[in-house]
Amino acid sequence: MTSLRNWRAPALSMVVFLLMIGIWHALTLPKAAPPAADSEYAALVGAAAASGQKSAFPSPADVGAKIWQHLQEPFYDRGPNDKGIGIQLAFSIARVLTGYLLAALVAIPVGFLIGMSPTVYRALDPYIQVLKPISPLAWMPLALFTLKDSSISAIFVIFICSLWPMLINTAFGVASVRKEWLNVARTLEVGPLRTAFRVILPAAAPTIMTGMRISIGIAWLVIVAAEMLVGGTGIGYFVWNEWNNLSITNILTAILAIGLVGMLLDLLLARLTRLVTFPE
Amino acid sequence: MSAFKDPFNPGVKLGCGCGRHSDQAAHDADLATQTSDTEALGNRVVEAAVMRALFPHDATRRRFLNAVGASTAMAAVSTFFPMGMAKDVFAQTGPLEKSSIKVGFIPITCATPIIMSQPMGFYGRQGLNVDVVKTAGWAVIRDKTLNKEYDAAHMLSPMPIAISLGIGANAMPYTVPAIENINGQAITLSIKHKDKRDPKSWKGFKFAVPFDYSMHNYLLRYYLAEHGLDPDKDVQIRSVPPPEMVANLRADNIDGFLAPDPVNQRAVFDGVGFIHTLTKELWEGHPCCAFAASREFVTKMPNTYRALLKAIMEATAYAAKPENRKQIAEAIAPANYLNQPVTVIEQVLTGTYADGLGNVKKDANRIDFDPFPWHSFAIWIMSQMKRWGQLKGDVDYAKVAREVFLATDAARLMREVGMKPPTTTTKKFLVMGKEFDPAKPEAYIQSFAIKRV
Amino acid sequence: MSEPLIRVEGIAKKFTGRDGTSTTVFENLYFGIEPGEFVCLIGHSGCGKTTILNVLSGLEQASSGYVFVGGREVSGPSLDRAVIFQSHALMPWLTVMGNISFAVSSRWPEWSDAKVREHAQKYIDLVNLTGSEKKRPAELSGGMKQRVGIARALSIQPKMLLMDEPFSALDALTRGVLQEEVLRICAETRQTVFMITHDVDEAILLADKIILMTNGPQAKIAEVVVNTMPRSRTRHDLHKHPHYYRIRNHLIDFLVDRSKLFAAVSAEFDPRHPPLVSPGLDPAEATVLDPSRPQGGGVTPLAAVR
Repeated sequence: MTSLRNWRAPALSMVVFLLMIGIWHALTLPKAAPPAADSEYAALVGAAAASGQKSAFPSPADVGAKIWQHLQEPFYDRGPNDKGIGIQLAFSIARVLTGYLLAALVAIPVGFLIGMSPTVYRALDPYIQVLKPISPLAWMPLALFTLKDSSISAIFVIFICSLWPMLINTAFGVASVRKEWLNVARTLEVGPLRTAFRVILPAAAPTIMTGMRISIGIAWLVIVAAEMLVGGTGIGYFVWNEWNNLSITNILTAILAIGLVGMLLDLLLARLTRLVTFPE
Repeated sequence: MSAFKDPFNPGVKLGCGCGRHSDQAAHDADLATQTSDTEALGNRVVEAAVMRALFPHDATRRRFLNAVGASTAMAAVSTFFPMGMAKDVFAQTGPLEKSSIKVGFIPITCATPIIMSQPMGFYGRQGLNVDVVKTAGWAVIRDKTLNKEYDAAHMLSPMPIAISLGIGANAMPYTVPAIENINGQAITLSIKHKDKRDPKSWKGFKFAVPFDYSMHNYLLRYYLAEHGLDPDKDVQIRSVPPPEMVANLRADNIDGFLAPDPVNQRAVFDGVGFIHTLTKELWEGHPCCAFAASREFVTKMPNTYRALLKAIMEATAYAAKPENRKQIAEAIAPANYLNQPVTVIEQVLTGTYADGLGNVKKDANRIDFDPFPWHSFAIWIMSQMKRWGQLKGDVDYAKVAREVFLATDAARLMREVGMKPPTTTTKKFLVMGKEFDPAKPEAYIQSFAIKRV
Repeated sequence: MSEPLIRVEGIAKKFTGRDGTSTTVFENLYFGIEPGEFVCLIGHSGCGKTTILNVLSGLEQASSGYVFVGGREVSGPSLDRAVIFQSHALMPWLTVMGNISFAVSSRWPEWSDAKVREHAQKYIDLVNLTGSEKKRPAELSGGMKQRVGIARALSIQPKMLLMDEPFSALDALTRGVLQEEVLRICAETRQTVFMITHDVDEAILLADKIILMTNGPQAKIAEVVVNTMPRSRTRHDLHKHPHYYRIRNHLIDFLVDRSKLFAAVSAEFDPRHPPLVSPGLDPAEATVLDPSRPQGGGVTPLAAVR
């Protein structure tokens, strides 16, 4: 009975999936078209245009075939503007991780400082409040102008968007470390550095990790847009390049890949969060 | 050398196509042995071009030279034109300062010479290892070039003028050593407007052009204004990156666009739009895109610049021959370059194309390749910038044209690769039947009924 | 009179409210604790019991007055004075062993890991937690958590132990068991203890002296009750001892009635020498405990006030 219940959710998932694919398939069935007027003309235009229609949205089978094609050869490299989807994803992930880790290197110490000192907190709070809501992409022209390098600019945009959730959560986590734990450290005459690493850090770790999890999600959202903007490499560039070619099948493939990688990054961070979380 | 059409020699007679030889046979023979006296020739060529630029009319120049004498003229000219610098660029053919370079491009057929030089080996022949990097939009290509991420780039020909004048960007001396292509644009309308072929019925239309500082913008405005529509009041003109144009047309966000190819042909290929008219019908031989580099690159890396430009010139010469076009189409269509179906590119380059209304049209000059950066092109562009209010105040048309459009370098290299550069840097031409005289840009602007000045 | 281990001289705590008015929680507190002595402090909520303990531990500063430990003035927390917190204050991310090792390695930073663990293990054994070393606080019952707190405090071998209502959050049964444990451990280690409680029976069971606080604000030490019962007392036979009810009645009597009325104390009350009383003794067998003052068993100067 329980085993049956365990299967219910996956079965429902499967039904939803098949239903969606089915609707998609039905909507993209080729329409019966009048024969092309002129074979010479037909040879010069797409199949849909030859019969006087607009090119159609791809069917699930088209997308499936494209995904299969990408899976066969995910890491090909045919010049600076044409690389396999695997390589593009790797570029994006590398950018996200670089910007993200740099942000962590800044946000966690600064967050610590802000969390430990109400004065610093009050002094920096207005800046954080103003800077936080700025769309990361709004930084792009400024970054390009000042950093004078598009890939550094993309990393900077990731840096700036991952910074705030980590900073705010670290400050909050540190500020709300239970006073009794700090008192224990004080009565044991524990030095400030040892207190920071052995008491405050582990106590604030779950909150900090939550901030890091929010950040990685935002960073992954932003990288696609940033790469669409500056181009060159990365999954965002891939989407842009295929949009250029009006290849909806490739774009759908990329969307799927973006979603999967985003999910994996989130799962990874969730796993790490669980490692540092303690039940009380 | 005796027959060299020296503008300092008041009594010279006309010779071969390039103007340096008494006849075509001498021209060809000289090309073969050219390297021996390259330097001396270079000096002469530079000086000659400068003289021509300053005194575009042969009669005026001759009178001036007769009056003061050639050496005095040279000295006088040198005081306000850095002749030494211009000559240095071509004086030596020393080792390349940098062999690995990056050139940015926008995936449109205008960039054909820049792109094809990579797969077809024109860069390699000059000892250059060039990465041609696809770029998302004109603003990005501008910023990446200003940031020196790119050593040179594919730009819309008005852009280097705008950058040099500091319009829409921080002023920075910029140059156009070569025009990429002439013609090759079209006005495409949404398929739902296939019965509205008269521009007078376009009131309220939304049009897209690739960029504010583009020939497309100026040509579309010109075309609309000639048909009595005020481009600022009767229609909307938006700046949309070329790759997004077909998607927008499909989504009915716009009614049409004046765009570079393959965008027009792609709209036809996908059954979304039809080609209303090619821009060559507006102005036969108009420039579109440019090969652009900062003045800093030109002066600091003269050998690299020269090699790069030579590769572009050779590619342009190759692309100018109709029999090569199919091969080029196949080379530049893959995902690494234009990322389009080969047939779309082929239709653009060969001029045998579907118009989107069921007709197959043939026009061998749909796009053509001629690298010579006519100063009169620059002056026309500035006249339109001023006409539509982008450029305010007085401008020294001839000076800006001279500084940005490097006709001298282009002419020299064109000769080296066997092309025939014109002997002057300015010419009159017709735009929709109306004559443009580069000597009188202000009067030209004033002659229009619809303008913003 | 020998120098006590801890000597409190006239400490007071004042708070300034938002409106600028100053509230005195307690003032003029004088008392001492001898080495090996177990002292309980009893008072109603609001008399600043926890604050007194925090001042003794050095976690808080008194508004005035001094605390001396071994003749030196207290200026901050010290490993000399271990604190057992009401909420046990274990670090939930550390195991039982981790919590205690953290304290041990703080006390002796030069020790090797093995030595730290060996030392910690001794105290885990002492509080009967052998076998739970690898458990985290969340896996422990309330009583077990407080055992860890006790082991942690004892492991640093402090000169004295400060306990802040350590058993108040426990159920009655567990509380009883732990009280006996504490009694046993203190007997074994001759530990000096200062404990705050509001449980009269707990005080009678554990303490040698019981300090009675009047109600706040301006709380004072009303008197110090000497527990005259033998130290070998247990929970089971406690109530069988003749002193038990007398002491208990005296304490409850104080808490229910007299603690409130102390404001009307007579002028002869000297906060430096709060009366030392032994209500457990039969008035007949009363002994003079403080030679400087006349004392009668069960008779207090405050009785006159009533």
